[in-house]
Amino acid sequence: MIDFSQPTPVILSEVRQLTPTRRELVLNMGPQHPSTHGVLRVRLTLEGETVIACDPVIGYLHRGVEKLGESHRYAQFVPWTDRTDYVAAPSNNLGYVLAVEKLCGIQAPERAQYWRMIMAELARLASHLVWLGTHALDIGALSVSLYTFRDRELILDIFEKFCGARLTTNMMEIGGFSREIPPDLPEMVREFCRYFPKAIRQYEDLLTENPIWLARTKGVGIIEPDVAINYGLTGACLRGSGVNYDVRKAMPYLLYDRVEFDVPLGTHGDVYDRYLVRIEEMRQSIRIIEQCLEQVPTDGPLMAYESQYVIPPHKNVMTTAEDMQRHFIWVIKGFSPPKGEVYHAVEHSKGELGYYIVSDGSPIPYRLRIRSPDFVNLQSLPYMAQGAMLADIVALIGTIDIVLGSVDR
Amino acid sequence: MSEPRPVPALTATSPWDTTGYWGPTDPEQHPAVRLVRERFPDAFREATVFRDEMTIRVDRRALRDVVEFLRTHPELRYNHLTDITAVDMLYLRERPRFDVVVQLYSIPRRQRLRVKCGVDDGETVPSLVPIFAGANWLERECYDMFGIVFEGHPDLRRILLPEDWDEGHPLRKDYPLRGYRDYVQPGFESPAPRIRGTLRRPGP
Repeated sequence: MIDFSQPTPVILSEVRQLTPTRRELVLNMGPQHPSTHGVLRVRLTLEGETVIACDPVIGYLHRGVEKLGESHRYAQFVPWTDRTDYVAAPSNNLGYVLAVEKLCGIQAPERAQYWRMIMAELARLASHLVWLGTHALDIGALSVSLYTFRDRELILDIFEKFCGARLTTNMMEIGGFSREIPPDLPEMVREFCRYFPKAIRQYEDLLTENPIWLARTKGVGIIEPDVAINYGLTGACLRGSGVNYDVRKAMPYLLYDRVEFDVPLGTHGDVYDRYLVRIEEMRQSIRIIEQCLEQVPTDGPLMAYESQYVIPPHKNVMTTAEDMQRHFIWVIKGFSPPKGEVYHAVEHSKGELGYYIVSDGSPIPYRLRIRSPDFVNLQSLPYMAQGAMLADIVALIGTIDIVLGSVDR
Repeated sequence: MSEPRPVPALTATSPWDTTGYWGPTDPEQHPAVRLVRERFPDAFREATVFRDEMTIRVDRRALRDVVEFLRTHPELRYNHLTDITAVDMLYLRERPRFDVVVQLYSIPRRQRLRVKCGVDDGETVPSLVPIFAGANWLERECYDMFGIVFEGHPDLRRILLPEDWDEGHPLRKDYPLRGYRDYVQPGFESPAPRIRGTLRRPGP
């Protein structure tokens, strides 16, 4: 355990200029390399097969999402959050709507909060499955990806049943959910929860004691706890090093203080520990979903309709003049939150996802900042890569769990 | 089927009750505000609270010293740098033009804090890289998007935009949404039409 009575030391990594000497070679990896998970480009300086410097070059997928957020009204921006981290879209929706709800001072009803938790945990599972499949594929275990993508389909089916979309879900709305939960959805989620622990055992059978997997991951890419904190890492990259920081436990949002779950911690801080942490996180997510399904009320409101900031109910819009006018104003002009600034963080599958919103009292956010977890986590790649072998770079990129849509925004 | 477990009561009393997450809501009682004011009487500007979130505004020249003090003081220990970003205050006030916003978090104390400093065009902010290694890319992004120069940064260059981008800094408020140049899509003869006017209302 790390001793917090002393200030954590500062890590000063030497910035090395990428001008190769006669013995060195500069190698460009990506942006079209299959193991860079998108369009990451890494400039590697090699001496033989040893990496002596590493410079990640990002921005190939930069779409200016923050600038777009500053030119859209609050409710219009929710679909854009899907496009930042597109393998766990509901978690992104959640972070954004919670930040806006905090700014407006409203809270979704209890039933909607439970369903938000269920959907966020399913999104975490879907994201971890993509990570596990591609990470194992990079290192050479081809068959794991077939299993993980098979099981991810079940989660995407649940998303499709819930909101009609599979990948970019646009699921959460400011104030809750405006559509009723499909009546057979709880049974669908329960069925998945009964099935999924067996699937996790299958992945573990394939990997956890596999000698090739152990040789490629154990002792590779070690991040010490002090270094992890100093780099500002979050998520499994931080917990793999043994630092206990999970936003769901440290600062519970939604109803995470009503469910029991454990935060898995690594000990060595290497690729293998981060793998174990994420596998255990999947089990804990199933635990959370099962408790939510037990506790969630079967009926009740799903939207905080009493608030002025929330779109009026569809039935009233069709039948009453007042709500039709309110709906018209809400859609055409948007709503104006009070002046101020909020920061709200949620535990995304990759770490702490924070939205910082500055409001000037107009229907458009004055400043919308997305603190994406993998942008910050990717900074640790040069630290891990120094002195590593060239073949380990794919393992190191995989273990950070990046999605370039979220890194570049 | 097991018995459904009893539902414990909500710990939060109001919808946005995050009192414990940001420390006391009264600036006089907040330890960080008190200690920073004692230690940096000249650099301390004000402490504001919105939705229970505590923000300290300091002089830009003292930013690194203040953050280092917050990081190392045994009562505070804000040892996790969550975020560095900036806000272009062009429509909101005269001067200074930008606000640099630093979000800090204390892992042992489970508390957040926001530190701000105003900076004008052409002025510099001391870099936080000597304190937090994670500040490196965040400051590069800040430079890329706003053109704010961080003094003492070891490698200040563009990060998300191409290195030879010559159109300025896109998150400034006077930068048009679709850029300065017209871009003709492949297969089209003329550039896509621009939206007339601005979506944003001019400031109050």
